[in-house]
Amino acid sequence: MEIGTRASEEAINPSVSVSKKRNKTFFTKLKSQKVLLAMSLPFLIWLFIFKYIPLWGWSIAFQDFKPARSIMDQEWIGMEHFKFLFTDENFWRVLRNTIGMSSINLVLGFVTAIGLALLINEIRHLRFKKSIQTISYMPHFISWVVAASIVSYSLSLENGIINIVLVNLGIVDEPILWLGKEKWFWVINGLAEVWKNVGWNTIIYLAAITMIDPEQYEAADIDGASRLQRIRHITLPSLKPTIIILIIMNLGYVLESGFEAQYLLGNPMNLSYSENLDIYVLKYGMAMGNFSIATAAGIFKTVVSFIFLFSANHIAKKFDQPRLF
Amino acid sequence: MIKKSLSVLLMVMMLITIVGCTKDDSTSGKSSDGDSKDKVTFTYFNAASPGKDLNTNETKIGKIFEDQTGVNFKTEYLVGDINTKIGTMIASGKYPDVLVPDIAIDKILDAGAFIDLTELIEEHAPNIKKLYGPHWEQMKDKDGKINFIPFAAKQGFIKDPNITQGAFWIQRGVLKEAGYPKIKTLDEYLALIEDYQKKHPEMNGASTIGFTALTYDWRFFALSNVPNHLAGYPNDGEVIVDMKTHKTDVYADNDVTKRYFKELNELNSKGLFDKEAFVANYDEYLAKIASGRVLGFFDYGWQVQQSLDNLKVAGNDDLRYMPLPITFDGQKDQYIDPPAFINNRGVGITVSAKDPVRIIKYFDNMVKEENQKLMFWGIKDETYSVDDKGKFYQTEEQFAKTSDEKYRDESGLNTFEYYWPMGDMLYSDGNAWVPGKQPEVAQVSYTDGDKAILKAYDAEVFSDLFADPDDRPWYPTWSAVIEQGSDAQIFGQRKTDLTKEFFPKLVLAKPGDFDKVWDQYIEEFNKLDAKALEDLMDKVVKDRIKAAEAK
Repeated sequence: MEIGTRASEEAINPSVSVSKKRNKTFFTKLKSQKVLLAMSLPFLIWLFIFKYIPLWGWSIAFQDFKPARSIMDQEWIGMEHFKFLFTDENFWRVLRNTIGMSSINLVLGFVTAIGLALLINEIRHLRFKKSIQTISYMPHFISWVVAASIVSYSLSLENGIINIVLVNLGIVDEPILWLGKEKWFWVINGLAEVWKNVGWNTIIYLAAITMIDPEQYEAADIDGASRLQRIRHITLPSLKPTIIILIIMNLGYVLESGFEAQYLLGNPMNLSYSENLDIYVLKYGMAMGNFSIATAAGIFKTVVSFIFLFSANHIAKKFDQPRLF
Repeated sequence: MIKKSLSVLLMVMMLITIVGCTKDDSTSGKSSDGDSKDKVTFTYFNAASPGKDLNTNETKIGKIFEDQTGVNFKTEYLVGDINTKIGTMIASGKYPDVLVPDIAIDKILDAGAFIDLTELIEEHAPNIKKLYGPHWEQMKDKDGKINFIPFAAKQGFIKDPNITQGAFWIQRGVLKEAGYPKIKTLDEYLALIEDYQKKHPEMNGASTIGFTALTYDWRFFALSNVPNHLAGYPNDGEVIVDMKTHKTDVYADNDVTKRYFKELNELNSKGLFDKEAFVANYDEYLAKIASGRVLGFFDYGWQVQQSLDNLKVAGNDDLRYMPLPITFDGQKDQYIDPPAFINNRGVGITVSAKDPVRIIKYFDNMVKEENQKLMFWGIKDETYSVDDKGKFYQTEEQFAKTSDEKYRDESGLNTFEYYWPMGDMLYSDGNAWVPGKQPEVAQVSYTDGDKAILKAYDAEVFSDLFADPDDRPWYPTWSAVIEQGSDAQIFGQRKTDLTKEFFPKLVLAKPGDFDKVWDQYIEEFNKLDAKALEDLMDKVVKDRIKAAEAK
């Protein structure tokens, strides 16, 4: 009520300071959007309860945490757990693998998803288009446990389709034990990820493509643009904002290279390249009941994500590109 | 201390309230002399296994016990989450009279829910005292109290007739073609496989696999434990315990390990080692074993049981496997587990029990040998028979009967199967405590092929080929509690990581490079804190020897 009176007071008196003016517009806006605000309130509360309050748990990283002991009885040991992480050779190895795999996933994921979206968009035959879409979504709904079995079976020595094709085409002389080649693991993992998710990832691009004004295509048609030229000069530039926003958001996930695929496809022979941060946390944190280490690694991940997200956003801003905020 | 006595006081007060509230349905007071044979019903809760809730006097065996003691138990088994259930009991302070808390036993002990049995046993239970005598000291808690009665008090020793533990397995066809040779050393074993594969490079259209190994995930120990067995030691986890000095030694960097992997490396260079051994998951491994293409492998019986069963059902005896106690140079093997007394599981009488004396008398009655036979073997001439030499055996019908769940429920064989005070191994008349360990019973399930191959090796059951375990009171060291997140535990994880990385390299390296890879491995290994684990294990071994000597 107070806000209301002040606003009306200001409306009568035109000689108000700039800050007051800003205030005024802010509060009038607030008032006029009160229904919207009320609608977003539950989500703010949700965000606070589920995303901010749990941050309290970060304190575990600085304790020698023992479950079922009250916070007063916990022993505070400062940065010990971070020291453990950063002095462990294995930690840097799994970090390398994590970043390696997520970079490959990022690049491959974007290129293939955009490529497939463009191709699907160009298909004229509607039923064919729909069935292609459905088929390409399908693997996304298979759980990794099943998908990993399919992958490892296709790559197996004797009955694996990949080896059969390669041998019969004369590309390799004898079957290759793909999952035993440690240096190939990142690629195998990247390709498996593409096979599983490419169809799903096209959805957002296909949606963005439908937003493009058809008049642009008509105009290009009249100017005699070929199909490829239309893709290059109309579709891709129109997708640019979507692509950039998605890249920025995904850079925030650079330390999330997935868990199931690596865990299920990993074996003693490719261990040094397949193990990632999440598996490391599982082994040295969860499995040992050492929740402090797990939390410390989680904090590390968050900080890195934060840095990546903000730098990418900052760069986008510098180059005057669309950005998150 | 004050806190503890306070909580005990609280407990007692709660108890009084509860007893006060439920007074009307308990007829006998706490001060029973225990001699009465009046009918009384107690409650029994088993959190260790699923089962059928019933009154024990509805079963044949339970009825006999009731006639002897007047006691009936109303049994209840765990449904749902054990910690929730036990937690609720503790929170309410209301327990069944007799409780088997299984893994939640620490919680029950912390809550002080079990009464001290020492005096009760001394006064009223001479049979329990006799049966558990050898383990008496091991049963005592830190404060000297006996809070519960562990299961399976070992009397003497009898080997499990079938091999459920580690062994080098070999396809029976290989042995048959070579004329059933008696082999003991690793070289002999590998030579047999090599010869056979030369003659039979293919089986059912697929190439024969000379030797494979299970390496998947946590089952990796099926590969990393082998050097220890070959050197003639039982499965003591990551360490070898010296029989004289009782010092423990992590053997992953020892000569025995080097020697075994050198052998595998040679095997691989000859094309006899399974190329996919290090990438196959557990299911693929089992499928491979069941396919009959594999000539030999090392594993623990319980890990390959499914595949072995499938091969048995398939019926081609040449494709089935025979377990062999192979060692490096034919030294005495120790594949069979030494007897171990598990003292952190058991059955106890709770503070809620109305009449502990009657209960302990019931227990005392049930551990008499004739009653134990009733519990495990069942009823004479119905579920087992006795030959003229006093040996217990089962006919095929009797064997089938004791495998029938419905019969087991009705007779009480299920109810009294394990979670009561009980002995194990041998009765004083020389019969096995439980039918599963009696050779005469194991033989009932043997096929003609089984009998033929056993005859060729002059054995009655498969474990006859294996040596008896030596006395190792510390066995198994892998059951020792390792503190979460401690240096010893971190060493264990790092060692596993390192061996997972290097063992494949050692096997798959060119023979000329083997020593180079080994040196690399040792260099990495020496960076780890093996001493943390060895120190801990030294202490465990010492403590366990002390506990064993005190008896």
